[in-house]
Amino acid sequence: MKKLLIILGLLIGPVAMAQKTDGVVTYVRKEHWFKIINRLPFLSQEQKDRESQTFKNFEENDKGIKMKLAFSPNESLYTYFSDEPEEGGYSWRKSEFLLYRNFEKDKKTDIIEMLGKTYIIDDSLHAPVWKIGNQIKDVAGYICMKAETQDPIKKQKITAWFAQDIPVPAGPERLNGLPGLILELDINDGDAVIEATNVTFKPLTPDDLKLPKQKGKKITDADYDALIKQRIEENITAHRNPYGWGGVRY
Amino acid sequence: MKNLFLLVVLCLFSAALCAQNPPLTRFTLQGRAVDTASAPLASSTVMLLSAKDSSLVNFTRTNDTGTFSFKNIKAGNYVLKISFVGFIPYNQVIKPTGDAVVDLGELKMKPITRELMEVVVRTAKAPLTIKGDTIEYNASSFKVPPGSTVEDLLRKLPGVQVDQDGNIRAQGQEVKKVTVDGKSFFGDDPKLATKNIQAEAITKVQVFNDKTEQAKLTGIDDGKKEKTVNLELKEEFKKGGFGKVTAGAGPASNNVSTRYEGKGSYNKFNSKRQFSALLLGNNSNQQGLSFNDYQDFRGSNSFNWNDNADFGFSGYTQYISFGDDNESLTIPISGGNGRGFSRNMAGGLNYNYDTKTTKLSTSYYFNQTRLQLDALRNNKRYLPGSTVLSTTDTSNQANLNTNHRVSLRFEKQLDSLQTLIVISNGRFGFSSSDLQSTQRVFQNVAATNEVPTTLSRTLNNSSANQFNMANTLLYRLKFKKKGRSFGASATYQINKNDGDLLLKARNEFFQATNVNDMLRVLNQDQGTNSLSNQYKANLLYAEPFAKKFFWETFYNFNLRYDEVDRDVANLDDSRRQIDSLSLYYKNNYLFNRLGSSIRYSFKGLNISAGLAGQQFQLDGKFARDQTQPLQSIRRTYTTVIPNIGLNYSMKNNRSLGAGYNVGVQIPSSRDLQPVSTNTNPLYITQGNPDLLPQLNHNINLSFNYFNPGSFITFWSNIYGTYYVNQIVYSQTYDPQTLIQTTMPENLTGGRNLGTYLYFGFPLKKTKATLNLNTQLNFGHNLTRINKILNETNNENYTVGARLELTPKDWFTFYGNANVSVGNTRYSINTTQNQTIYNNSFRGDLNLKLPGSIYLNTSLNYSVYKNEKLGFNQQIPILNSSLYHILGKAKKAEIRLSAYDLLNRNVVVSQYAGQNYTNTERIQSLARYFLLSFTYNMRGVQDKMRRDGY
Repeated sequence: MKKLLIILGLLIGPVAMAQKTDGVVTYVRKEHWFKIINRLPFLSQEQKDRESQTFKNFEENDKGIKMKLAFSPNESLYTYFSDEPEEGGYSWRKSEFLLYRNFEKDKKTDIIEMLGKTYIIDDSLHAPVWKIGNQIKDVAGYICMKAETQDPIKKQKITAWFAQDIPVPAGPERLNGLPGLILELDINDGDAVIEATNVTFKPLTPDDLKLPKQKGKKITDADYDALIKQRIEENITAHRNPYGWGGVRY
Repeated sequence: MKNLFLLVVLCLFSAALCAQNPPLTRFTLQGRAVDTASAPLASSTVMLLSAKDSSLVNFTRTNDTGTFSFKNIKAGNYVLKISFVGFIPYNQVIKPTGDAVVDLGELKMKPITRELMEVVVRTAKAPLTIKGDTIEYNASSFKVPPGSTVEDLLRKLPGVQVDQDGNIRAQGQEVKKVTVDGKSFFGDDPKLATKNIQAEAITKVQVFNDKTEQAKLTGIDDGKKEKTVNLELKEEFKKGGFGKVTAGAGPASNNVSTRYEGKGSYNKFNSKRQFSALLLGNNSNQQGLSFNDYQDFRGSNSFNWNDNADFGFSGYTQYISFGDDNESLTIPISGGNGRGFSRNMAGGLNYNYDTKTTKLSTSYYFNQTRLQLDALRNNKRYLPGSTVLSTTDTSNQANLNTNHRVSLRFEKQLDSLQTLIVISNGRFGFSSSDLQSTQRVFQNVAATNEVPTTLSRTLNNSSANQFNMANTLLYRLKFKKKGRSFGASATYQINKNDGDLLLKARNEFFQATNVNDMLRVLNQDQGTNSLSNQYKANLLYAEPFAKKFFWETFYNFNLRYDEVDRDVANLDDSRRQIDSLSLYYKNNYLFNRLGSSIRYSFKGLNISAGLAGQQFQLDGKFARDQTQPLQSIRRTYTTVIPNIGLNYSMKNNRSLGAGYNVGVQIPSSRDLQPVSTNTNPLYITQGNPDLLPQLNHNINLSFNYFNPGSFITFWSNIYGTYYVNQIVYSQTYDPQTLIQTTMPENLTGGRNLGTYLYFGFPLKKTKATLNLNTQLNFGHNLTRINKILNETNNENYTVGARLELTPKDWFTFYGNANVSVGNTRYSINTTQNQTIYNNSFRGDLNLKLPGSIYLNTSLNYSVYKNEKLGFNQQIPILNSSLYHILGKAKKAEIRLSAYDLLNRNVVVSQYAGQNYTNTERIQSLARYFLLSFTYNMRGVQDKMRRDGY
């Protein structure tokens, strides 16, 4: 009986697979800012505890920011889910953030507004070195495997969970290059979590992957890394949180 | 078959290659993923990892027959990993064989049991960790009802059985040992731990085969394994506690007694509970809690958003409310501006209990201040023509103020859409004051010599008992439709004040022509009992439409009932009641407001416009005494007020704000009653029954910019107010006694316009920052003086600069300079036009010396000048402290502080108002020394840098 099921699965498998490479993932990105504050080296234990004790209830109300990733086997575009105001009705402006990937041509174009400027990062993909773990779990209904890497600039431990059966090397934020679509990212053991809530398979239209016309300072990956590194160091020296409002994305 | 043929050909071919080039650097790896029944697993993920660190080198997918191949791989050690949904990932170490093609053949993958997949992975969403053939998972993902024990949790886990007696079997074997965080838990019985520990305290359950105790003891592995369950406690469940204590004392000197300061606090917490206790006492003018102390004391209840129960036009900035809705009810933060000499005591307890759905906070806070205040006050009033009245007031005062505050806040998430909040804050206050004051009034006509007109000596003894309480019930409901919401609230407030004043005054009027008017002696007992009950109810409904629009409607109901009984008795006349000063009144204020606004919100742009209609009804009754017939005042004021707001956040951290609103100020009942009072015999106040409500038309415009890259900050705003029917207290002077009578009346035309600019930028990044700011304010105030309309124009110019130097870890400097010039012009008496200067300069120097010794020195130099009045006061205050942080753990600090080394402290203020100027000098705590010791369980930090991050 079991065999029969597997065989049946195998027969249906390829058909299903054919569709399982194009679509849109919805993510929720949540930052746990007092965990981040707890990592600031210039704060005393007393100050860190004060933040944690005072604001411990605030995270519950944080619904996070909805993000979306449009993906196909060769391309992906990651940006905000919508411009509509959040619950409660007040609309905050979100800084420009669009990440385009082309896996076939090994190209990327990132539009990132940060540190008071809009930057356009044009470079090849530069996927990080992933270490594959021995764990699996369910994210948004998909069985995912664990992979880990290290952000060399922000010194963050990054854990990604990629779908075993969505063979697309795309992912949220600036991460990609795994054998399956990344459905969850965990930065520094829960400081920030980007988790898929829904995956919809559909053929993409060119609009889904189109970057808007945007003016900005053109830089390479190396420039971007150098810039971030410098700003983080400056902020730490100046006793400021580099990941605050308008600052470096955590 | 075809494959096999190809394979053979390939093998032969590569073998041939091998023979030619012995040191093979590249090879091909291939194989076939199949299940236990050898059926192919198509589209499996096949990964080639570096054997050294499991880093991903290459990946591919199997084809329909389950085969895969990696071509042209560098020779080396690898791990091959294959994954397929529902199967245990397959791992195999690949070592170089020297062959050009390495064929692994059929690689059989084992399925993960359906139970694990369904229960653990799909339902509990727990990650599975695969170690060889054993599978571990995180038990905290399994939901058990609150209050469940670990035993209940274990019952839910696949592969674990717990029998009726609590014996545990995992994967068919009996569990012999249960450890907590790897350590044995109360002896050997595994049931002790599982029956006693709460499931919610557990983050992980690990089931594994441990060596036997025997093997551990001898160090010889006997090969026997015991099933062991290890429970890992959640980080936050590990309880915490911290405390801090500071004690200091200084010698008597400089005509002041021994100084002391003491403060202690202790906090205990776990993930749900926070308990804190605080006690402080000093005679060094530190009255309230610092902001940090407040946060440590109130914990998670320090700030509560959304506690505002009085709904109205939605604000464009989020308000911070300090937990409570009535300021006088909340715990005072900072406070006390170092005036006079004060002895202070405060203490309190706070308890918070927070879960996702229930939040409870209770606190008790006690504070007491004894204040000694010796003041010299000068007041000049400018009358029409060229008459100037100067008053000098020398007073000394002893106040005792005691408050007990209790607070409760309870928040319950009824379900995902409904929230209920109950807030109750109360204060019991006792105060008493002894005041001795000598007032001299001089008249100066047309710059001739000053002529003394009045001498008044007053002795006041007052005491009061107060009770205030505010109780609020707030209900919020969200709907399934995003953005639609409903709110309802009800508040009951009570304010009770029983006060008594014994007034002894002797007033001599030198210019009186009538003998009876030359001397007035007052010996009165003035008792005032007031009670105010207030009932409020509010509704709010918000409805989104057309995606970017919101329609908000609110309704406010407010009923206030006041009863005031003021009895003044003449103590020199066998306590006969003085009717002209006594007063009894009852008031009902009824306020209804209905408002509605529409807001557009999209991409950082929020524009709203709204209108509210409001009606005040005043129904008052008053008499000199409750035994007399009551006269009544009835007023109804109806107004329509507009509200417009704009907030636009733009690219690169720029934002623009603008707003127009109308504020309505209703005349107080006291202002409407046609009776007079003379608490201060030289100043008589009188009511005006014809008063209309005051309207303030307010506009504001702001622009802010911040660049986190270059650290440049720019803020600017302009604000203006135009008053219609402003309630202004007109003054008339008795030509003989020069006693001033004030009466409120409505005047239109007063206005105020101001602007504030701030610019901060680094001179050298991270080392030096300069902030510049300027504030300009132009006021046009109207007052009627002896029936003549006086127009006062105030122009205030303030320029400030602040320099922060943080070049080294061992050296920081903060410098401040503020220059403020105020020009005041009086239309009724232009000769009295004057200029006031309030300048201050401050420098703070921090040095870190070898051996954990730190030095902080600050100089604060203030200059107060008014040439017209010949007032010129310069006060340099030099403070210095030397401290040493003790030990490696840096938990203690010893500090020697010197305050006001130059012994020059006097608290000064000066102000020019509508037709008057005030200056005030208060004798205050000057030079003293303090040696103090601090112990902080969490460590002491040096104060080289200013707080804020």
